[in-house]
Amino acid sequence: MTVELAMKELEKKYNRLSGTAASNLCAHCGWCAEACHVYQATHDPAVTPVAKAEKVRRVYKKSHDWMSKVFPFWTGAKSLTDEELKRWVEMAFRDCTLCERCVVNCPMGVETPQLIAAARAALTAAGMAPELLVQLADMAISREENADLFRDFFLEQVKEMEKELQAHLKNPDARIPVGQEGARILYVPLSGAHTILPPAIIFNTAGESWTMSMFEASNYGVFLGDTARAKHIAERLINEAKRLKVQEIVLAECGHAYSTMRWEAPKWFGGPLPFRVRSILEVLDDYVRTGRLKLDASRNREPVTYHDSCNLGRKGGLFEEPRRVLQAAAKDFREMTPNRAQSLCCGGGAGLVAIPEWAEARIQAGKPKADQIRKTGASVVVTSCDNCRHQLTEINEHYNLGVKVTSLAEMTVQALVPAADEKRVTVQV
Amino acid sequence: MLSAGFVHFAEYELQIIALAWLAVMYAIKAYQLSRLSMPWEKAPGKGSSLSGVLRSYAAIFMPWSMESTHRHLWRWVEFGAYHVGAAIAILTTFTMPFAPGIMTGPVRLAFAILIAPAVLLSLVKLARRLTRPELRLISTPDDYFALVSVGVYFVAAMPALLLYTPLARVVYFIITAAFLFYVPFSKISHYVYFLFAGIITGSRYGWRGVRPQVSRAV
Repeated sequence: MTVELAMKELEKKYNRLSGTAASNLCAHCGWCAEACHVYQATHDPAVTPVAKAEKVRRVYKKSHDWMSKVFPFWTGAKSLTDEELKRWVEMAFRDCTLCERCVVNCPMGVETPQLIAAARAALTAAGMAPELLVQLADMAISREENADLFRDFFLEQVKEMEKELQAHLKNPDARIPVGQEGARILYVPLSGAHTILPPAIIFNTAGESWTMSMFEASNYGVFLGDTARAKHIAERLINEAKRLKVQEIVLAECGHAYSTMRWEAPKWFGGPLPFRVRSILEVLDDYVRTGRLKLDASRNREPVTYHDSCNLGRKGGLFEEPRRVLQAAAKDFREMTPNRAQSLCCGGGAGLVAIPEWAEARIQAGKPKADQIRKTGASVVVTSCDNCRHQLTEINEHYNLGVKVTSLAEMTVQALVPAADEKRVTVQV
Repeated sequence: MLSAGFVHFAEYELQIIALAWLAVMYAIKAYQLSRLSMPWEKAPGKGSSLSGVLRSYAAIFMPWSMESTHRHLWRWVEFGAYHVGAAIAILTTFTMPFAPGIMTGPVRLAFAILIAPAVLLSLVKLARRLTRPELRLISTPDDYFALVSVGVYFVAAMPALLLYTPLARVVYFIITAAFLFYVPFSKISHYVYFLFAGIITGSRYGWRGVRPQVSRAV
């Protein structure tokens, strides 16, 4: 039964993307091996992107490839079994973070993550996905279904944060509005004050018309490869944005939330969403470029480097926006090598950071990133993804990097020139 | 002694039959792929799909653009030499029967010189596949057979070009035909899927402003 459910889901996921990746497109050249941070960290031949993809590809080939149907031994094709499915759990959820670095280093353009995502979906359908990821996805759904239960508690917490905001800005009129109809921006935070307070300072300083969402930006349905759950979670934000008649949704510094709402959700809902979707990175970049925020780079004198989240960068196309802000906000900005589309995954993406039993493997997979950070000589690492932030904080401790891990919004707030000082500083962008 | 009729059959009719077979098989595969649903990008774009597709096809000619090639430049040179050899060997199967006038001695020698590295590289690739754990793990009988058969194909091209005797040519063309009949069922057909992948992956990266990179949304 488990295998049947998994196979049914695999077939549902068999589209032109996964079908091409599962075809003979892959020449088995192995060039992708070193692109993978997990392989770089372990040198285990079983965790190369091609080896991981091959597990799924061979199952697809058994039912879709001519040669494999007749002579399966010739291509290694095989039917899915319970044992094989069990092996897929670690392969799909632990040994691959769907970072797509293998894709940009493949001469053929094999989309290996499509196959791994299909495996994740199959495991979820078969009830074999990591329980915690399923619970987190379901909690997000139940938060919408029981919104009234959460509202008062949430508003109380926001009120407390508002006091901090007013103290920071020395402005008793500063607000963190929630659910305010007609605002221009609906800001969607994550859980934790660090994704609420700095953006609130920024929006208030920029004089933005904004309101905050009741919900969180994260979408664990995506990590499960479960489109139904992911769609449900995304739909909460879409409905809220429609109800509040906002012009745009601005997402907190969260990699997968951005790639999901900006790029994937329109596919699920059959077309562009009726409002703009941006990351706060893009908004910050706009504010700094247009002078709505004045930054003083001398307020951040320590050497700073930036970690490209795979979801924001390689999957999202946001490379220069955070860099422009950082160059205005910090005196000594240093690039990691490689960066941008070739950036290394931190090792904690695609939900892995939420699974405690795989912490050891995750920290090991973070070694290449730790080495990369060390080489910059930076003492501050900025990242615009909360998953990455969590992982970088842990590898910082484990590998004794001695850096501070922070977000772009926090760096920006630190460099923010109070209104009274504005005339003294010229920001060059 | 080979009859002129048989040589003609091997060089013309047999090749046309094999090429027609290849074309039909690829057409069926293309049709099957095109029938699958495709999750095209639906969000407002940041860049251009067309630029992405072109960039995707061009990537292999830009070794500096991929870490897998710029860190292993020699591997990229090998890749190039092997595929140049393949392209010349395929070209030979067209020029010999259909444009014999251009197959002068110097041209045949030049072709053989371009194919020769590919012969050696077939052995290198085979040795690598047998000895490197990460390659051995993923290799199937099809992988080994593909490497050997392409190697044999390159080897057969040498006497056909250098000796240019009817026997050498017939052997080469029979191997070519056998090869063409097998290719649609093998990983050797990766080059056909490459055309699809370039569109699929390239258009997404292009649309999202990832590759080529777009500095700012407009």
